[in-house]
Amino acid sequence: MRKRTLKRSSLRRALTAFWWLTLIFLYLPLAVVVLFSFNAANSAARLTGFSLRWYHQLLGNEQIIEAFGNTLILAICSSVIALAIGCLIGYGMYRHRHRKLGWLIVLIYLPIVLPDIVFGISEMAFFVQFHRLTGLLQPGLGTMVIAHVTFQIPFVALIVYSRFVGLDPSLFEAAKDLYATPLKRVIHFMLPTLKPALISAFFLSFTLSVDDFVISFFTAGPESATLPIYIWSAIKKGVTPEINAIATLMIGAVALAAMISLVFNRQRKV
Amino acid sequence: MLQTPSRRHAVVSETRHLLFTVTPGAAWIIVFLVLPSIYLMAVAFMTNGPYGLPQLPLSLNSFEQLAGVGFLGWSPGNLYTLLRSLWQTVVATGLVVLVAYPIAYYITTCRARWRPIMLLLVVVPSWTNQVIRTFGWMNLLAPGTPLSNLAEMMGLISPNMGLYPSNFAVTLGLVYNFLPFMVLPLYAAFEKLDTAQVEAAQDLYAKPVRAFWHAVFPQTLPGLLAGVVLVAIPAFGMYVIPELLGGGKAMMLGNLVATQFSGGSNWPLGAAGAILMLIATFIGLFAMRRIGKRLGGGEEVVI
Repeated sequence: MRKRTLKRSSLRRALTAFWWLTLIFLYLPLAVVVLFSFNAANSAARLTGFSLRWYHQLLGNEQIIEAFGNTLILAICSSVIALAIGCLIGYGMYRHRHRKLGWLIVLIYLPIVLPDIVFGISEMAFFVQFHRLTGLLQPGLGTMVIAHVTFQIPFVALIVYSRFVGLDPSLFEAAKDLYATPLKRVIHFMLPTLKPALISAFFLSFTLSVDDFVISFFTAGPESATLPIYIWSAIKKGVTPEINAIATLMIGAVALAAMISLVFNRQRKV
Repeated sequence: MLQTPSRRHAVVSETRHLLFTVTPGAAWIIVFLVLPSIYLMAVAFMTNGPYGLPQLPLSLNSFEQLAGVGFLGWSPGNLYTLLRSLWQTVVATGLVVLVAYPIAYYITTCRARWRPIMLLLVVVPSWTNQVIRTFGWMNLLAPGTPLSNLAEMMGLISPNMGLYPSNFAVTLGLVYNFLPFMVLPLYAAFEKLDTAQVEAAQDLYAKPVRAFWHAVFPQTLPGLLAGVVLVAIPAFGMYVIPELLGGGKAMMLGNLVATQFSGGSNWPLGAAGAILMLIATFIGLFAMRRIGKRLGGGEEVVI
């Protein structure tokens, strides 16, 4: 009803226009970065011609290659650890959901609700002092992995938990009857049923890690710059079109991820 | 009643199971987040040492500094920063609501098969790194760019200044950054909208505005409030956007705190600022729970 009365009315036309304006607003900054990455001139104000020279420069820039490597190592290591720990806690939350686990819920939501900057500086202050006292945990990739795992655990746990809640509880009884040992139950029942949840939890963790800047920035050491940190310091030092090129590649990766998620959604519906 | 041995055994093994599954994660978060936060809060009550590291004795110096008391008497700098953070948060949240409300509504009126794609289109920009997005705005708003020239022609800014760095650029960056956080909960609220109420209002000859305020708006309120919390809390502690788009003139609390830990080297002052942020966060969460309970529902939108 509502739809029919609204169709072709001026309100609807205004809304449509507003929708397209908002889309332009959302994509304009990204489009500008992509556009200027192909700019021949070293200028952020003028387009002179098409060129790939900034991409060529990327390949020769060892710092960027190293930052790219660090980003990947950090994202993969932290996601794997978070997946293992988060899975366990998600299952624990499900299996014992009838107990009073309020404190656990608070603990799990803490990393999500804490402002990034507070999160980052607490860990930094902690790592610096811990290193001063014991000589361990020197700021670097290790401390960054620890920090990233800390903010990834809640997301993994919540995804795994909601997958379990969506299952028929009698499945667990059946699995108990079928497979004698807990290990067999995990291998033949839990892991297969959890597979979609595990995949999406891994990708979410991975994305969160690559996407993070503030927490990485404060827990990083001098040798462990990731791509966002490299871009940040390049911007601070003075903008070079190389940043546009590396940023364009990262935008491309996101666009690819968006396509994949779209295809996945379509398939699930069919 | 007496417990049979097997029953007691079951309880014990259940508890062991709980500990086995939950301990690694809980311990991780406690050791690497709860303890550091507690340490940070303690730092706020210590004195600033020679290298910016905190030391005893305990004092309230840092809070006095946060209020502007320094070697040279009182100066309003920090207070301005606090007020600016509040002001930016309120303005940006308001603007985000104004943009997100019609957008969320519009998406629900479109064909069902288009809606997931439209939502994805709104969300995808926020998947890119925050630094890159902000860098895009730096490119757009810098002096000499079309947008800056336009603003100059209209007399909004003085010549050759550009739209960035400025408070305006920070507000714009915040709105850009947080728009999806408002659209999603509002969309969820619109999706569940009970259209019977709207039709009843129309049948009773309510004018569109009245029908909206009495039949539509109250139903979307839980989603709206969830969105406000999702936007306002992180906006208040924002670091990247004011640092890049504000250029020193538009510092917010997040920058004040961060500076004390990197360049400024005054941990206690930074920690005092962080406590302020924590208080704001918990007030926001508490308020949302209260409102959510009173309105019924709404919580599932948030979590």
